[in-house]
Amino acid sequence: MPPVRTQGGKKKPPPEGFEDIEDTLLEFQTRMRDAEKAPHEGKKKYETTWPIFQIVHQRSRYIYDLYYTKEAISKPLYDYLLKNKYADAMLIAKWKKTGYEKLCCVRCIQTQETNFRSTCICRVPKKQLKESEEIECVNCGCRGCSSGD
Amino acid sequence: MASLPERPPVGLPPLPPGWTEHKAPTGHMYYYNAEIKKSTYVRPIAEPQSFPEPVAPPTPPPPPSYGTAAPNANFDLFNPFAAKPAAPDYNAHPELLNAQAHYEGPSRGHSGRGGFDARGERRPFQNRRRDPQDRPKHRHDIPDCTPWVLVQTKLKRRFVWNKDTNESFWKFPAHVMKGVVEFDRQQREKRERRERGETSDDEAAAAMAEMEAELADEEAQAQAQVVEVDGDVGMENDEEYEEVEVTDDEGQPEEHPSKRQRTEEPQDAPDDQGMELGEDDIAWQLAAMEGEYDEDEEEGLPLTEEDCKALFKELMDDLRLSPFTPWDKILEDDRLYEDDRYKALTNMKARKECFSEWARERVQILKELKANQQKLDPRIPYLSFLHGLATPKLYWPEFKRKYKKEPEMKDMKLPDKDKERLYRDHVKRLGMKSSELRSDLSALLKSQPLASLNRSTTLGTLPPSVLVDLRFISLPASTRDSIIEDFVSRLPPAPEGTGPSAEEEAETRKNRAERERRERALADRERKVHEDKRRQERDLAYGKGRLREEEMEIERAMKVGKDGLRGQLSGYDGGE
Repeated sequence: MPPVRTQGGKKKPPPEGFEDIEDTLLEFQTRMRDAEKAPHEGKKKYETTWPIFQIVHQRSRYIYDLYYTKEAISKPLYDYLLKNKYADAMLIAKWKKTGYEKLCCVRCIQTQETNFRSTCICRVPKKQLKESEEIECVNCGCRGCSSGD
Repeated sequence: MASLPERPPVGLPPLPPGWTEHKAPTGHMYYYNAEIKKSTYVRPIAEPQSFPEPVAPPTPPPPPSYGTAAPNANFDLFNPFAAKPAAPDYNAHPELLNAQAHYEGPSRGHSGRGGFDARGERRPFQNRRRDPQDRPKHRHDIPDCTPWVLVQTKLKRRFVWNKDTNESFWKFPAHVMKGVVEFDRQQREKRERRERGETSDDEAAAAMAEMEAELADEEAQAQAQVVEVDGDVGMENDEEYEEVEVTDDEGQPEEHPSKRQRTEEPQDAPDDQGMELGEDDIAWQLAAMEGEYDEDEEEGLPLTEEDCKALFKELMDDLRLSPFTPWDKILEDDRLYEDDRYKALTNMKARKECFSEWARERVQILKELKANQQKLDPRIPYLSFLHGLATPKLYWPEFKRKYKKEPEMKDMKLPDKDKERLYRDHVKRLGMKSSELRSDLSALLKSQPLASLNRSTTLGTLPPSVLVDLRFISLPASTRDSIIEDFVSRLPPAPEGTGPSAEEEAETRKNRAERERRERALADRERKVHEDKRRQERDLAYGKGRLREEEMEIERAMKVGKDGLRGQLSGYDGGE
């Protein structure tokens, strides 16, 4: 039987600059925990996961902004955050593409999951929707994430 | 309306012959004598009063020293606005002119500022008192007309004032007119130049300050003097430079037709100037006038877009916000909204952009600071922790387990191996003789360069090279500190250092001046917005008052008494 190796003394500290954003990340963590524990009574089945998606989106956007627009965090720290699942790497990968700058969640662009091989309703620009039509998509409760809006 | 006499109770003595009772638009009763063309709020009893009280302008209560005076009497005489509403009266009641002139003298007792609202006639309804009082605001010297000075009031109207004779006119006398035209031209040129951005702000600010100081001075002087205000000196009829309110009914006979007036009010009661002109006319004229002056009006300090952004960024700086906070979180802070600088930028999108720009800059600054700052060696807190708690009685695993909750033990920057090694070494040293430890410590201190360890060093500012050494923590604190102090006091002072350079100081001073200018500009803009808002409110109130009046009128017309239409018919017959 191989010796049990614990992470004990070998744990590496997070890269430089992590302490700057630690508070905000902790806050996101608490919010996520609250959202996970929130009661589902009175909600539709598909509504229960909306807050989770929203928090994931916000946290990813926060880290994306810090790294790409504000240039406030270093590359090692950004990689560390992605590796530790603080941000959704797949989502951020989409945000870098033209037309997907505001994408709410990756599920909303999955054409495989819909009947007519189409994207989610939230991807439709407001202009092409009917006047004063309020939509909330089933996947994540997004009210519209088209780049033109 | 405390200053107005109350409505007479029901059982009052009958009016003397010639007097008739009327209701003012404000709801107060007043009395009018068609023969002597006088009106009063005070119910005349047997003998009509020698001093009639004009009805229209309900004014603040007259000063107590001023027993018999009519409400008009507390007009401020320096301020031509005060006398202006009365000016049309002069035409209407020439016989009143003397009377007014008569009591203008003593009324100097009243303060220079207060006075009468120039727009009294514009608002023949109840809430006119809420409106701001007009007062002189800016003074400009008219070129080539030395004693004459052009004064602009708070409500942006202008009059000329002779400094020597203390006369002031709404209408500019002919020779002054030329000067004013010249002055306006200069102003226009100046503004154009400023728009091209040639004039420095400092210059304008200085001029403004000077002007205000002068104005205050003059006001003080004027309070001590008797001023005559006269509206009837020969004037040119130049449309642009004319005070609309005054000229409109000038020279017109008082009886010029006004249907509405006749139905409900005596046609030439002194308060009727506003009615005669037609409130709409006046409102329109005033609006036109304001518009005209607005064009003339110098914009305050210019507030450019960059200034707005800078203001917003300063707000962020002042609130000590972290650039790493998300925008949503920033918006939860109430302090943000309390500050005026928040409103420097007008929409949320601009604010967000400005914030991310600021955050970006700020992060760069912080990065530089951090780079310049010496990194705190993680061994320093750990060693001071060991100094307090390490004991030869505990092996490393025991010690580790006992204190695993302490932040120094949890600190991941210092690897566990280093922690263990330091602990073991330290515990080994604790068993050594105290004399050895002392000599070790003094050897450590002696090895420090003079730049880092000198006479000005205190126990709190020891160099890190000393702090990370095991020899430093081997002795108990009391003996160690005395040894170090002793050693430091025998050291020579530090070699010459360099203070902050003059360039840096100049830079900070410049930044501060720039910031002050921006804040002033913002305050200016705020003030202007306030003024606009107030004006709008006033117009609204005015409109409401009119509406109410009209409603009342309709109500009166609709009212059918006990005897049906006969009452109105009889009135109609009587009219015929």
